[in-house]
Amino acid sequence: MKFTLDWLGEFIDLPTTDPDEIAEALESLGHEVESWERINHRFDGVVIGRVLEVGAHPNADKVRVTKVDVGDEVLDIICGAWNFEAGAVVPVAKPGAVLQGDFEISQRKIRGITSNGMICSESELEVGEDEAGIMVLDADYPDASGRLGEDFATLLPENDVVFDVTITPNRPDCMSVYGLARELAAFYEIPLEPVGLEIDGGAASTSVTIEDTTACSRFVGREVTGLTVGPSPHRIRARLVAAGVRPINNVVDASNYAMIEFGHPTHAFDVDRLGKTVVVRRAADGETITTLDEVERALLPTDIVVADAERPVAIAGVMGGADTEVTDDTTGVFIEAAYWDPASTLLTSKHLGLRSEASARFERGMDPEFCRRAADRVAQILVETAGGTVAGVADEYPAPPDPVVIDLFMSEITRLLGIELDPAEARSLLERLGFLVEGSDPLVVTVPSRRPDVHRPADLIEEIARLHGFENIPARLRFGTGVGLGHRESRIRALRSVLVGAGYHEILGFSFIGSSDLDALQLADDDPARVGIRVANPLRDEEGVMRTTLLPGLLKAASANVAKRVEDVRLFEIGKVFLPGDGELPDQPDRLGFIAAGGSPARWDGPGRPSDVFDATGLWDRIAESMRLENVTVAATQRPPFHPGRAAEIRREGDVIGHVGEIHPSVAATHGLEGRVIAGELSLAPLIEERATWQFSPPSSYPPQVFDLAFEVESHVPAGAILAAIDDASEGLVEGRRVFDVYEGDPIPEGRKSIAVNLTVRAPDRTLSDDDVAPIRRAIVDAVETKTGATLRGVV
Amino acid sequence: MEVKETLARLRTEAPAKIAAVESIEELDELALQVVGRNSPIAAGRRSLGQIPPEERRDLGRAINDVAKELEAIIEARRAELASVEAAAALADDAVDITLPGRVPRRGTTHLVQQVMDEVVDIFVAMGYTVATGPEAETEFYNFTALNFPPAHPTRLESDTLYLEYGDDPEGVLLRTHTSPMQARYMEQHEPPVYLVVPGRVFRRDQVDATHSPVFHQIEGLAVDTDVTFGDLKGALDHFAREFLGTGIETKFIPHHFPFTEPSAEMHVYANGRWMELLGCGMVNPAVFEAVGYDPDAVTGFAFGMGADRLAMVRHGITDLRHLFDPDQRILEQYR
Repeated sequence: MKFTLDWLGEFIDLPTTDPDEIAEALESLGHEVESWERINHRFDGVVIGRVLEVGAHPNADKVRVTKVDVGDEVLDIICGAWNFEAGAVVPVAKPGAVLQGDFEISQRKIRGITSNGMICSESELEVGEDEAGIMVLDADYPDASGRLGEDFATLLPENDVVFDVTITPNRPDCMSVYGLARELAAFYEIPLEPVGLEIDGGAASTSVTIEDTTACSRFVGREVTGLTVGPSPHRIRARLVAAGVRPINNVVDASNYAMIEFGHPTHAFDVDRLGKTVVVRRAADGETITTLDEVERALLPTDIVVADAERPVAIAGVMGGADTEVTDDTTGVFIEAAYWDPASTLLTSKHLGLRSEASARFERGMDPEFCRRAADRVAQILVETAGGTVAGVADEYPAPPDPVVIDLFMSEITRLLGIELDPAEARSLLERLGFLVEGSDPLVVTVPSRRPDVHRPADLIEEIARLHGFENIPARLRFGTGVGLGHRESRIRALRSVLVGAGYHEILGFSFIGSSDLDALQLADDDPARVGIRVANPLRDEEGVMRTTLLPGLLKAASANVAKRVEDVRLFEIGKVFLPGDGELPDQPDRLGFIAAGGSPARWDGPGRPSDVFDATGLWDRIAESMRLENVTVAATQRPPFHPGRAAEIRREGDVIGHVGEIHPSVAATHGLEGRVIAGELSLAPLIEERATWQFSPPSSYPPQVFDLAFEVESHVPAGAILAAIDDASEGLVEGRRVFDVYEGDPIPEGRKSIAVNLTVRAPDRTLSDDDVAPIRRAIVDAVETKTGATLRGVV
Repeated sequence: MEVKETLARLRTEAPAKIAAVESIEELDELALQVVGRNSPIAAGRRSLGQIPPEERRDLGRAINDVAKELEAIIEARRAELASVEAAAALADDAVDITLPGRVPRRGTTHLVQQVMDEVVDIFVAMGYTVATGPEAETEFYNFTALNFPPAHPTRLESDTLYLEYGDDPEGVLLRTHTSPMQARYMEQHEPPVYLVVPGRVFRRDQVDATHSPVFHQIEGLAVDTDVTFGDLKGALDHFAREFLGTGIETKFIPHHFPFTEPSAEMHVYANGRWMELLGCGMVNPAVFEAVGYDPDAVTGFAFGMGADRLAMVRHGITDLRHLFDPDQRILEQYR
């Protein structure tokens, strides 16, 4: 909320005018000052004057010639405004005066007559928006007429400052100038001006009945009659503008002014358009009301309305109706100040999608005890600014709530804050904030009705702590009972370092995607990633669906890099995807995704090499090996968005745990990617599962036997099958096997290929002789031939 | 006598010739003539059989002496030449050492992840345990269990992203903070609790220099029989010094969170001004009640900080959008 220092000064006499100091005090009370700004008026040479004569200009129709008394002299001034006559007290810029924007006033001739200065409008002085006429001071500043010749600035607050303070939602009592004055008074231990509104008056001409006392525990209606609707005085308008509220007319302004001043929203009905029997009731099903914003709104029985005998005239706590709105012809008003239940107000404002300044306040909880004074403050302002007379009042308050009383033990303060306070000290802190305190230990504390946030000892301790000062609570370093990082966290970090070690950069992608992002992957119809959970209220279409796969984000990220001419893009992400599940929440498994586009560029020592599918499978091998995964296999798969002939599914004990390979060229092209793009997406859980502790095996100190075997096999037989056959037959003696050649073409018959493997065979306990190796070699060849249909081509 | 003269001449003339050769090849050739098969020495030895036995011994010794002497000179020269040739070979092998070396490429962990890891480590060293929770969360754990009143503005559709999931349109949401894990963890564990929760959170914000619909938090919770506001200050002061440097100044100012009472913000003096670093407070007794703890038996504090913000404060990043930019030239800076 915004307000001026000058306004604050009506209630407290601050020991400082330094805005920084005041901001710091507010901050230490828990009210964050977003900013403060000085109102810098420049009025050099602008004085208060009285118009003595107004006459016609002999050579001009649109301007008049005036004589203005500025105290020590009478000036002839030509003026184009017509909203004043002789006798008006006005601001006068004398020759030499400099207005805002370095506009210097000088003597000048207008159609043959010299004008010695300028009579100013609000906008010329930048103190208001009114530019239709000059600023007539008589009504707004009654003592101006006695101060002719004095600086105009003396009428306005000197060095005023606008504060913009954020009030936390638990403190509705601080959403006002007076509320913050009360806080500062407690902080500085200075007196606070009492509200002092004691206006009597007989019964109102309008009767009030509350049918739903849960929704409305109090309803005050104060009548003001004989008023004239018009603009508010400058001083009211200036404060409203500083507070960020646009002045409308003196009735609306009075309501807004009183709300900023004391916090409680009020609503003024035109008393002549309102029936004589006002009822607070639930809306009937299907009932409608056209609100002040000219929107017709359908109500529900959960909505509370203020109604007369005919129709609803206001939606309780939210907005008034257009039918009974104050107009320029209004001469009497019925000012409503009520206590509207927060929950009920919220419900209504949510279902109508209508939030107002008033509803925001009632939702947080206003002070039922203040209703009468809230209405009377508006009445008081209207008497001053609209020439009204205070008339009757209706005040329905069937069951004032019992005040909240809390027992506060000193031990509780120590338990929560770690400091010892004696009861007198605690008592004094609470009393400064307006709590009524009796007893010593426990303190028996009565909570003011304006503090809906305080209902248990912890709440009082917060009050004590913030006034005592958080800086006066000594810090203590204590250690917890936890025992380390934990397995999951360590394994994820290890996995991340594998990717980092392979040259991949981690990205943090958004968790949502656009629905078209999944289409762009050209997924199979039965792919579970096809159907994403929708975000109900996304800000943008691109954030409309929860991601079901990490690939769209990775593809876009790679594409963005390629567009910026980054060579050799390698990115990875670890994060959740969101899939429909059986439980209360969506399934949210963690995934590891990676992508690479481009490849290593040519260098002085060799040519470049574009990435291809074997970088993807190789990265997978690196992951599997680093994370010590067992029982994992790789098999060819045809699965969008991957290339049908260059992708693998990763299986672990029969379950598919992920896919790696090249992205389908048409999917890549859709994302603006050319050349081979490799990617993979894997379930995180199996990768980071806890592993049994590994056991050391000493290397053999005996020499190896090394030999090559070349097999001829049908082209479709995977190399993996040959290697698996070798492993099965090796009896633990094959220390290493490496595919060193794959060949198709002459002299291998069409439809067949040659795969050559280099084998290292070594025993742990002896030197293998040729005679020892022969049966092993034979067993391996037999196994490969039997299991894959291969034939041995001979030792290469 | 002829032999002796030949030997004498050889002995006088050969050293200069040996010294004059410039390669091991030439030296080998010369050696043949000086001490080898074709040399006077070999000839002398062959002639020994034809001279009288009484002279043979003297002459034989003289021949051997000369041979040894010259062989030594040849070997010395050979060693000299070998070392020169080796040096020349190394000189030929020299490279332009300023050409770029072969660096195995290294990637990077994202800066925000690094920050989360670092913060987690600071608290783990203080005896905290790590846990993580669901990002799509129930309204109950995100708000109600944490004592958010029904009217709290954060619950509004303007602030919180809700998912079309389940029957209640406001039943499942994207968690707005990591705090739901406070409730989830306490429900499943008896006190004492010393917990730190890194994770991703969501708000319904347009992307700009300081807002993002996705960002990251680290939540902390300490619950024990005698945890005080002083302990809260101690833990967070320690954290700030570990994370931002021992000289860092902190201050705690009152604030409001529904799930803590009293609540505070910790501000730090950095980059020439005070700035908010995190929110914290003593666990509200209503939260203890919601998770089945006895508020008379335990007290606790909780805190939450934005990992993205921590990264920005410490590394001079002025626009949050950089942190979500996958531009590899940015990522490469996160070494």
